[in-house]
Order: sequence, then structure tokens, then C-alpha cells
Amino acid sequence: MQNKITAIIIDDEKLARDIIKKYIKAFKQIEILGECSNGFEGIKAINDMKPDLIFLDIQMPKITGFEMLELLDEKPIIIFTTAYDQYALKAFEYSAIDYLLKPFSEDRFREAVEKAAEKLSNKNKYVKEVSKLETHLDEKEEKLERVVVKTGTKIAIIPVDKINYFEAQDDYVMLYTDEGKFLKQKTMKYFEDHLEHSDFIRIHRSYIVRLTKIKQLELFEKESYKAVLTDGKSLPVSKSGYAKLKEIFN
Amino acid sequence: MYNPFLKLRYLFYYIAGWLIVAVIHFLVLYISLNFEWSYALADSLIFNGLFMLLGISLWYSVKYIKIEDNPLLLVIIKNTVSGGLTALAAVGLGNFIFYHIIHPGSKILEFINNTFYWRLLIGCLYYEVVIVVIYLYIFYEKLALKVERESELNSLIKEAELKTLKYQLNPHFIFNSLNSISSLTITDPDKAREMIIKLSAFLRSTLSENEKQTNELGEELKNIKLYLDIEKIRFGDKFEIVEELSDECLKVKIPNMIFQPLFENAIKYGVYESLDKIYIKVKCLRENNYMKFTVENNFDEDVNIKKGKGIGLKNIKNRLSLIYNQDNLLAVEREKGLFTVSVYIPLDKR
Repeated sequence: MQNKITAIIIDDEKLARDIIKKYIKAFKQIEILGECSNGFEGIKAINDMKPDLIFLDIQMPKITGFEMLELLDEKPIIIFTTAYDQYALKAFEYSAIDYLLKPFSEDRFREAVEKAAEKLSNKNKYVKEVSKLETHLDEKEEKLERVVVKTGTKIAIIPVDKINYFEAQDDYVMLYTDEGKFLKQKTMKYFEDHLEHSDFIRIHRSYIVRLTKIKQLELFEKESYKAVLTDGKSLPVSKSGYAKLKEIFN
Repeated sequence: MYNPFLKLRYLFYYIAGWLIVAVIHFLVLYISLNFEWSYALADSLIFNGLFMLLGISLWYSVKYIKIEDNPLLLVIIKNTVSGGLTALAAVGLGNFIFYHIIHPGSKILEFINNTFYWRLLIGCLYYEVVIVVIYLYIFYEKLALKVERESELNSLIKEAELKTLKYQLNPHFIFNSLNSISSLTITDPDKAREMIIKLSAFLRSTLSENEKQTNELGEELKNIKLYLDIEKIRFGDKFEIVEELSDECLKVKIPNMIFQPLFENAIKYGVYESLDKIYIKVKCLRENNYMKFTVENNFDEDVNIKKGKGIGLKNIKNRLSLIYNQDNLLAVEREKGLFTVSVYIPLDKR
């Protein structure tokens, strides 16, 4: 633990940031580069200052801590600090090194920081990231209500209600809305799992469509169909997609 | 079910009914058939008295012959038999008494002899009427019992519903507040103590088992103020309360804790989600026979608020409709970045 570690605190409550700063004073090697009170500031600060470590709250104005992470190109080491215990499992999906439940003790805080330092020093590549995973396995899978994307330098919050369909594009997924299309770094599987199944259907390896946007099915070639959308676009339908559609419309 | 004849009120009606019959009986004998008044009176009193006394026993046979358990025809036959036998007993007993108190060869004895079957028939008819009345009584009693049970059940359901609709403490608010306190103990112990005291007072009133259903608005607002003070320590200048309350309103009784969720929503969807300052405007004024209580806050329109799905508001609406039997006491408006909730509390018309 000799090297300097740089850190940023992201929390919308000043008092919550204060206590982290107080606790951190005990660690000579950690340098606080800055504090942010929301996710937008957080993205900017992280991209500008490239800290080694962030302390991140989850519930914050505009975008959540999770949504902020999705918009980062390079992720620092993350320690979540939150009063909500139901996000623990999700937190480790975002490869957080620890998850501190507010209010936390100085000892618990030290444990988390030491874990981060160990990971950074590369002495132990196999630092256990998940410590309390088991206890949260019964956590319910949350359905997606909005998607946060970067468009140039701006950040757009797209309600899922406004999305017409999803299209796979290599490592990305393109979201189509009436206002335009947006690229998001996620997998089709992720969206398939996190969308309301009564609203969306995966009609093809590369397409997930809002059911109400499908106008009709057209025979395209022998045993091959296309879905015509209300805006006139037509998308390919796979065999299994056709079977699913048939079940729904019958 | 108790024998209704044991109830004084019903016994009175029963006796009164037979008295009317007896009077008619007497008048027919005395005026139409020209019997001496003493004979006419004796005939009427003895026979109708016996009919009345033995008729009471019909209760037991009717109770035994239940309409639900027997086909209708069987009910009629069984009751005709029991009515007939009772009538036979009454008429026979009447004859027996007359033969012992009246001189043999008297004109009335001859009349009694000649009218034996008529008396039997009339007795049967009387008893059928009694039987029908008893059935009606049983039916009525059962119905009354059912209605009573139903209303009991309804009030139980209402109570249970109110309990589930009652305000529920948000744990995250507690944990976040405790975190703020933890922080303040280092930087500002006086403020930490202040916050602990406020949080304790808030928790005490919220968790108290005091089942008072209503409270004066002024008292309720004191508690809400505690909550807002705590949030103010957490969020500083991020929000401001603007109050417009009349003294008249402060005295109005409202269901307890019913307005608390309105303020929590304003904090949750306004302050928690916005980068701008949030103004929470509280207004209260009288409109006809209602007190109109309004909480209005600005919010960030970019944020897709769907999270709570309006459960808090729905609960308020349900609670109001359970208490006041009116469905239109809550109005929600969401326009141009302003969220407005109005609650109408019916005032006593006195």
C-alpha cells in the first residue's frame, strides 16, 4: 500500500460526502481529487481526472450511480455507498469491489478501502469481489424503466415507453424511438431479460420489438416472415420468433 | 333460536290476536245467534283460551319441521297434521270442560255438540295462520342475524383495510438520516444532537400505537415539519417550503398521517431527483363544505418518474373513500414541471 491512490466521492448529500472524507484522512496514501453531487458531474470528473477509486451513491438526481457507470468508457474501482440493501447483487454485476450500507463504521470502511488498495497494488489479482452475495440471491430482477445513453457530449435519458425496437449492432444495441436512434453498450440478452415481456418480444437474434408497433406479418420467402411495423419499416422474423408471435396473436 | 313466545313483546301480540278472535266469537254468539251473554262469553273464552295456550306448543313442531330440510309438500302435510292434532286436543279439552261446568240439556251444550267439526276446522285454520306467522318470524330472525353479521364483517374489513392503508415508515429515510447523524457527530455534534432529537420525535409520533383516528391539521403539520426539518439538514438549500395556511384550517380534524405521504412524494420525486432548487408550496383554504389542502412542487421533467407507480396517492384516495364514503376527494395534476396534489376534507355541516 505504498503507491498513491486517487479517489473521487460521488454522493448527492454533503454530509454523506463529509463522513467519507473524514474516514479517508486515516489513509495517508489516498488523495481525494474531488467530490460530485450527481452522476453528470461524476462522469465529467472521472473522465477528466481518471481516479483509481470512486465512492458512489446509487440514488442520486437525474441518473443513478448504475446509469452513470454505464456511460463510462473506463471504470475505476468502485465502492458503493447506499442506504438501499436491495441493490447489492446488482452492484456486483457492475464489478464493485464493495458495497457499504449507510451508516457504516470506520472499521467497515477501512476494510473496503484496503480491499481496493490490494486490488490496485496488483499483489493479489484474485481479491474476492463478492462478499455478501449469498445473502441477496432472492433479490428480484428489476424491470427496466429508462435507458441512459451518451449522444456526443450530452446525456439522454430515454424512457423505455418511448422505445419502438432494439437492433443488435456488434457489441452495441441500437434503440429506435420516434425522436431518433441511440446507441447503447449493452447486450441483446440484457434487454431481453430486463424488458417487460408483455410489452416486448424478441422476433430475431438481432431484433426486439414493441408488440404494439407490429402492424402485420408478411410472408417473405418460403417459410420466412417479415414483421411490418406501424411506421412502415419491416424487420426479419426468425423461426422461433415466428412461433412466439403466433402464440401471442392467436 | 329462543322461543319467541318467551319474549314479552311477542307474547303480548299473540295474546292480543287471540283476544280479537275471542271478541268476534263472543259477538257472533251473543248478537247473531242470540245466546245468553254469559254462555257466549264462556264459550268464547274457554275455546279461544285453549287454542291460545296449546298454540304455543306449535313453535316446537315448526322448529322441528325445517323448510330447508323438507320438500314443500311434506312441510305442508306435517304442519297440517300437527295443527290438526293440536286443534283436536284443544276442541276435545274444551268440550270436556263444558260438560263439567254446564247443566246437561242446556241449549249451549247442544250447540257445542253440533259444531264439533266446525270448531275443529276453524281451529285448524287458526293454527295454520299461527304456523305461517312462526315461519315468517324465523325467516325474519335469520335475516336480521345475517344482516348483523354482514355489517360486523364489513366493519372488520374496513378496519383491516385502514390498517394496511395507514402510513408506513420509509426505511431508507431512516438509514440516510442516521448516516447524516453519523457524519455530523464528527463535524457538528450540536447539530447531530438536534437531528437525533428531531428524528426521535418524528419516530415516536409515527410509530406510536396511539390509535387516534383523527388529528387537528395543526398537530399533523407539526409532525410533518419534523420530517421536513430532517430532510433540510440532509439537503440544505436544495428545497424550500412556502406555506399559506389559514388559522381556520389548522383546527380542522383530518385522518391521522394522511398528508405525510404528500410531502414524502414532493421530497422523493422533487428533491431527490432534481438538480435545481425545489419549492414545496403548501396551501389550505375553505371551499364550500370542504377544506382544500394542496401540496405543489416543481420537478425535473426530464426524469422519467414511474418508480412509485402512485401507490402512496392511491392509498390516500382509498383511505379517504373508506372514511368519508366519497370517491372524489383527491385531485392530482401534473403540468409544466409542476406536480400538484389537492385533498378535500369534508367539513361537518353543523
